[in-house]
Amino acid sequence: MNAAKPIILAEDNPRDAELALAAMEEEHISDKVVLCHDGAEVLDYLYCRGQFKSRLRGNPAVIFLDLKMPKVNGLEVLRTIKADINLRPIPVVMLTSSREERDLAESYALGANAYVVKPVEFHKFLSAVKELGTFWGVINEPPPEGLRSAQPHS
Amino acid sequence: MESSTHQPSESSTLVPGEPEPRSDSSPDSTNSNNGRMSWFQKLTIEQRILAGFSLVFVGILVITAVSYHNTSIVLTNSRLDGRSHDLLQLLSTIDVAMNEAEDAHRRYLVTGEMSYLESYKKVVQQKPTFATYLRELARGSMEQEQRARVLERMMEKQLNAESKAIDQFDEGGFRAVKKMAIEGAGRRELGAIHQLITDMDSDERQAMNRRIADSAEGTKNTIVLLGLGAFLQLVLLAWVYYLIRHDITERRRVAEELQRRGELLEAANKELEAFSYSVSHDLRAPLRHIDGYAALLRKSVEQSLNEKGARYLQTISDAAKQMGQLIDDLLVFSRMGRQEMLHTTVNLEQVINHVLADLRLDLQGREISWTIAPLPEVTGDPAMLRQVFVNLLTNAIKFTGTRPKASIEIGVERPTSAEVVIFVRDNGVGFDMEYASKLFGVFQRLHRADEFEGTGIGLANVRRIVHRHGGRTWAEGAPNIGATFFIALPTRSHEP
Repeated sequence: MNAAKPIILAEDNPRDAELALAAMEEEHISDKVVLCHDGAEVLDYLYCRGQFKSRLRGNPAVIFLDLKMPKVNGLEVLRTIKADINLRPIPVVMLTSSREERDLAESYALGANAYVVKPVEFHKFLSAVKELGTFWGVINEPPPEGLRSAQPHS
Repeated sequence: MESSTHQPSESSTLVPGEPEPRSDSSPDSTNSNNGRMSWFQKLTIEQRILAGFSLVFVGILVITAVSYHNTSIVLTNSRLDGRSHDLLQLLSTIDVAMNEAEDAHRRYLVTGEMSYLESYKKVVQQKPTFATYLRELARGSMEQEQRARVLERMMEKQLNAESKAIDQFDEGGFRAVKKMAIEGAGRRELGAIHQLITDMDSDERQAMNRRIADSAEGTKNTIVLLGLGAFLQLVLLAWVYYLIRHDITERRRVAEELQRRGELLEAANKELEAFSYSVSHDLRAPLRHIDGYAALLRKSVEQSLNEKGARYLQTISDAAKQMGQLIDDLLVFSRMGRQEMLHTTVNLEQVINHVLADLRLDLQGREISWTIAPLPEVTGDPAMLRQVFVNLLTNAIKFTGTRPKASIEIGVERPTSAEVVIFVRDNGVGFDMEYASKLFGVFQRLHRADEFEGTGIGLANVRRIVHRHGGRTWAEGAPNIGATFFIALPTRSHEP
């Protein structure tokens, strides 16, 4: 189980973030959520720099990544993560408004683990975020850390 | 002021709402601001070119005819000249011969020498030949002919007189003809003959001179005509060349213009699609927030919320959801315009069967009699055409909802070589033909929202898809009787 591992929520829109947190709260996993307001903060967290310099070491259980974000956008963050041998195993879930084929194709090409379109209706959004949080943050077994040799094709 | 002389008929052949190409497409015609050119303006470029070539042809004909005429005159003159020369020759021969005859008969009368008589007789023998030639050569000119006859008579007279004198000499010797031998028997006639011959000679020479002048004039005219004609032909041909070239450049220009416009239109369309897509996405976020916060609010004040408050919150949620649906529809519509199209053979019968299978759930509790004709295969995008029939059949099912016994017919009409027309007919609530033009518009609805649900995007999608296939859509209907929707798809594959 990965009960201790944090969940990264990369969301620049504070309302979306609040709604997502409200959903997570119902599942009692909101205290595991680390909120990043743009792509740069996500990278700061992963590389333990800036405001996350003194955080506990270790990768998060999952990253929920918005596509449209200031500074560094979701696709750029995804590209960086999947290019780094240490970060590549982290599950990345794209959580976005875009249903555009190009975004879908590019996300999967870069190695996204899932792609979820935010529903407009709150109760659907609620259940989507709840399920995602529970599945990736609680049920799913994250990859063990420090096992580079476990990647046969690297 | 130039444009006021333009015929409106000409401008109507050009692209409407586009004044510039009109003024520069016919710069030559704008210069002529009199009514005389107006008929010419009405001619098409082909007619003008044909007219130009016809003029060239007529010009060639005229030049050829006139040249032929002039040349034949010159030829006739030169033939006449030959005859005149012969006549002159003959006249001088006759003159000499008559002198000789007079001389010879006189010498014979004096000497009685037979050789002189022989000389004389020779002339007498020649006389009929002279006469024949004379008549022959003098023909053509009345005056000369008359003179020739007189000359002939005079010759006859002279020779007769001389002959008579010779006879008298033979009978009575020199004494009998002494006086005549000295003076000559036809002396008087000889003088007259000489005079006549001189007259004829000078007349013939004058005629010759006239003809020479005539021929020279004709030749000169021919040369001038040929030069002028050649020049005119050149001008005409240059004009025709200009017309053709102008036409070609014009066509090329129009083609380029069309292509440019097509590209612009395509770019504008792309931009518009991108714009509407991004707007749709950005609109979704605040809607999500409205619905979300309304839900959060309801949750936090659930206990103290009265019925009215609950209804208000529900309305907020519903409105947000409805707008979300509209945006989703708009996105689908936008995608229909951008999506890459396949061009494969589509079996419409299979498509309809799949659609009906998908719609089964919606049909529970409904009594619908279906009439489905054998449907043809068409060329197009299977997914898009499926969407067309999903929309048409959903509509048919929806708008027959108030009928206890609904009947829906899918059929083929008028199979021509160019297109195949498929229709979906229902006995539903129908529509007023007055609003037929609005049916296929985006978010156009002919019924109130509480009568039939839907955003009004379905038929817009149908039209867009059919248009992308190069086809047409239209509808017929009557209120409370039913509606028929037609789609015409080209039988040949359409590459946009």
